[in-house]
Amino acid sequence: MAEAGRIPVPLRLCRGCRHFVRIENELCDFCGGDLAALEAAHAEGVAEIRAVTAALRAAIAARGVAEAG
Amino acid sequence: MIVERADLSLPVRYSGLDDILKRVPVSVVWEITLACDLACQHCGSRAGRRRRDELTTAEAFDLVDQIAELGARSVGLIGGEAYLRKDWLQIIAAIRAAGMECDLQTGGRNLTDERVGQAAAAGLNAVGISIDGIGATHDRLRGVIGSFEMALAAMRNVRAHGLEVGVNTQINARTLHELRDLMDIIIEAGCHNWQLAITTAMGNAADHPDMLLQPWQMMEVLPLLAELASEGRERGLFLQPASNIGYFGPHESRLRNVMNEEIHFHGCNAGDTVMGIEADGTIKSCPGLPSPYAGGNIRDRRLRDIWENAEPMAFNRRRTVEDLWGYCRTCYYAETCLAGCTWTAHALMGRAGNNPMCHHRALDFDARGLRERLVKVKDAEGRSFDHGEFEIIVEAAGGEAALADG
Repeated sequence: MAEAGRIPVPLRLCRGCRHFVRIENELCDFCGGDLAALEAAHAEGVAEIRAVTAALRAAIAARGVAEAG
Repeated sequence: MIVERADLSLPVRYSGLDDILKRVPVSVVWEITLACDLACQHCGSRAGRRRRDELTTAEAFDLVDQIAELGARSVGLIGGEAYLRKDWLQIIAAIRAAGMECDLQTGGRNLTDERVGQAAAAGLNAVGISIDGIGATHDRLRGVIGSFEMALAAMRNVRAHGLEVGVNTQINARTLHELRDLMDIIIEAGCHNWQLAITTAMGNAADHPDMLLQPWQMMEVLPLLAELASEGRERGLFLQPASNIGYFGPHESRLRNVMNEEIHFHGCNAGDTVMGIEADGTIKSCPGLPSPYAGGNIRDRRLRDIWENAEPMAFNRRRTVEDLWGYCRTCYYAETCLAGCTWTAHALMGRAGNNPMCHHRALDFDARGLRERLVKVKDAEGRSFDHGEFEIIVEAAGGEAALADG
């Protein structure tokens, strides 16, 4: 049985300054941002983009159906 | 690069945590001959003539079986120029018959339509073609007039036979300013995968220090690559930075984003999920590493024995922060990065553990009004995979020497 390889030490992405920081951090070592708050704001932004994209897709599909009819 | 293997759309050569735990040589890079039809100024192996004692066809077939036994998923054939070996098609067929993917990395000078057709029939999955710059820049680096056009013709041949085509590019002082225009050319030519590596001071490249980038130039290289990666993704081109590009500056996520922004460099993976093989059967943990890293030869030991037990193959899983030196020893990212690419660090500094070719490091020096400059202090001897030695000069960002790094 082969000896296991080196298990990488993971890091966490700061959504404020885009630097990677230690996963146990609460604040970013580079910009001082609150990592959890920045992550929540990022998730909110992603959700908004997804909602807008879904609405756009639905509108395009509806228009396609109307034109076909 | 570590990714979730559950995402089946990723190339099979990408490794996951399970591969590391089982230490599967997911990606094997095999120099099947050192014979070459180009004369590249940066060639680490100083390819040209065959090695004195390259493996026979029977030995190559046996090696294919041994590679498959270890669980490898992908075998990349390199040279020299792999197609100059008479039995290269048989080797491709054997690799495919053993259940592994096979790709060819080539300069493409004589990758004719007929050759590509034969390779496709043998089961070749993909071809990566080396294109470093545009026109004369490429021709000069590759040592053959017309080699740029030949490489583009090879790309067309590969696509005509329905194979996936990628491009490999060396980033150095002569090519850096052509990368943006080169990206347009390769997208136009139908390329979807672009692998970039910084020219490492090994073999012929060690004889051309003027070609090598300086550490402070990472402040130009990394933002550019991040920009090209984002733009490339929008245009259907997947940019793959080699392990010697990094590390951990503000562009890390954008550069290494493979469908997940939280992916980052995890350190050298030589000997954990990567294996290199020389044409005479020498086994290494990474194809570019110099001879002290050779684990043995398959003429003397079984591949599994070398992979699992040879101590020179184990340096990566033994390495700790205590093994680092110079700037890397006290770096914020030391525990994760472990001084980045072993090949690059060893080729420059004569030993691993301190790698000046780093964006985070360049930014840190710059913030203090300083920069690092490499000066060659020892020539390479002229052998395959040899290297010289460089000294780091720390100087004012404008250029005046301040102190040397230990």
